[in-house]
Amino acid sequence: MIEIRQLAKAFALEKGQKLSEAELQDVRYTGRSFCSVRDVSFNCENGQVIGLLGPNGAGKTTTLRMLSTALKPDAGAILMDGKDVLRDPLLARRRIGFLSSSTGLYGRLTAFENVAYFARLHGMTEAALRQRIDELFTLLDMHSFASRRAELMSSGMKQKTAIARAVVHSPALVVLDEPTTGLDIMTTQTVLDFIRSLKMAGTPVIFSTHHLDEVSSLCDRVVVINQGISAFNGSLAAFRQLSADGDLRQAFMSVIKQESV
Amino acid sequence: MWQVYLKELLELSRDRKTLMFVILLPVLIFPVIFGLLGLVAANVTASAQAEEHKYVIINADKAPAFAGQLFYHKNFKQVSTELTEPEALRQAIRDGQFDLAVIIPADFAAGSTELAQSQWTVIYNTAPVLDLIGNYLKDLVKDYSRQLQLARLESVGVTGKQVDAILEPVQINKVSSAENRENLGEKLGGWIAYLLVPLCFMGCSYPAIDIGAGEKERGTLETLLICPISRSSLVLGKFLTVLTTGLATALITVLSFGGWGYLIGSLAGVDVVAKAMSALGFADLMLILAMLIPLTMIFASALLSLSIYARSFKEAQNYIGPMSILVFVPLALAMLPGVELNWKTALIPMTNISLCIKELVKGTIDMGILTLVIASTVVLAGVLIAFCVSWFQREKVLFR
Repeated sequence: MIEIRQLAKAFALEKGQKLSEAELQDVRYTGRSFCSVRDVSFNCENGQVIGLLGPNGAGKTTTLRMLSTALKPDAGAILMDGKDVLRDPLLARRRIGFLSSSTGLYGRLTAFENVAYFARLHGMTEAALRQRIDELFTLLDMHSFASRRAELMSSGMKQKTAIARAVVHSPALVVLDEPTTGLDIMTTQTVLDFIRSLKMAGTPVIFSTHHLDEVSSLCDRVVVINQGISAFNGSLAAFRQLSADGDLRQAFMSVIKQESV
Repeated sequence: MWQVYLKELLELSRDRKTLMFVILLPVLIFPVIFGLLGLVAANVTASAQAEEHKYVIINADKAPAFAGQLFYHKNFKQVSTELTEPEALRQAIRDGQFDLAVIIPADFAAGSTELAQSQWTVIYNTAPVLDLIGNYLKDLVKDYSRQLQLARLESVGVTGKQVDAILEPVQINKVSSAENRENLGEKLGGWIAYLLVPLCFMGCSYPAIDIGAGEKERGTLETLLICPISRSSLVLGKFLTVLTTGLATALITVLSFGGWGYLIGSLAGVDVVAKAMSALGFADLMLILAMLIPLTMIFASALLSLSIYARSFKEAQNYIGPMSILVFVPLALAMLPGVELNWKTALIPMTNISLCIKELVKGTIDMGILTLVIASTVVLAGVLIAFCVSWFQREKVLFR
């Protein structure tokens, strides 16, 4: 089980940095810093899929980066099965698989080498990583381009490789930041099927998205982040109930408007 | 750390730009460029030496022997002119009518017994660096003057060894206390550092950009940061990669130049390389290469710090470009006449290594100062590596 309690993270602004009109309106800009995340809390049980929603710049990526230990929160706590992730980030990194929105691959390495490199960094033995990569490449239908260099791959092939790389060490929690953004329909389906397979295997998944149909078909719980605050945290059914006709778009808008008032 | 190191090396070995900088440039491109330069220079010199210069001589009848020498010189061809005034002759040379005018004074008499110095005027273009006309004239006048000296001395009864005793009463026989190697070191030592140090820098710079800023630009850094290895191991793996390429460039260049020099030397029958190599002992050669290790560590850590700070490949290039020019400043300082390796210069980074290499080639190194140079360079490298590691821990740097 993952528990996130009152996370907060601010970034110092560069000296002389001029703010746009929209930024001046944003309450998170305070003097010399920008409070990207002010108070985000939610939890995720084993086998659950959580959809993280929110407008652009709401603080979703920063929240996921803190969850993956790439960034250190200024305040709050992240507990994995009761253990404090912030106190032992290396332990947490072994148990979390993270796919960022701006994920890239090493262009001059093949699909296999890209995945194997991260498997080795996770301390996997050669035999174990070969077996695991074979499993993943079968699951994601990647054998046909296993020896192709990343710089010569299509965007779909790259995304599959990035997913394989994120989960090669069989993580206890998978965090995906907008995993379907910019993908074609076929590749999007592959990603969604993969999330479903993780759910079937009992692996909790937290993913941010702007696609409400993905939330509708995959998620057990929904968290809406707006202006750095978790404005909604509940089940998919409870989220639907925010709208009179169960429309997720309306539900989302009602949370955002309520928060803005 | 070693996983990072091996992966970075594998990736760099597949990169054409890196291969070009580390292997192709020193093995093939540099020797070809230097070879072509040498060839062009040799051709230009040869054709300049074969050139025939048109000349006029005023009052040739006053010094027929000199006029005859000039006439039979293979690089001079006499032409006639009506002009006699220096200014008019100068203008004619500028107009390209001829290349040289020799004006012998009308009152000059070769056989005169009156002891007086004669002032001759020669007019030609003295601007070219290779002053061939001047050199030819100098030799001709020297010969002619010697003839006059002998004739005048003979007329007063001075002959044989007495002539030398009068014309050159003291002759200096120079004996150098310096070994051949010391001379060679003084001349070549500075240039060796001038070649090797920038090569180490160049060998470090592209890989540093690629595995620092390049990692940010490709979007792979974030994934790397959440792997269960410490950031110190991560940065040290990258640092070792940059260090390896920097040293490899220097080593490959030395071997390449040695190989090419040996090949050309043996083909052309020149044993300069063999002499240079035999002057340097194996231990000295190893010491020179060993000196480059801490220096390259300085480059690797500084370049990696800059590269990881940059948001993109282009930004990193903007930082590192001016740095590559700065590298030459301490090296040029070491080449200045009078700048020698002492307890003070031993503490100036890069200048100290350059001076040390010079002393090693000369064979006159002071082991105490050598130790100080190595120690100060290692300390500086250590500080920069520590800075690079701490730089790599900062979110402000990694997520700019």
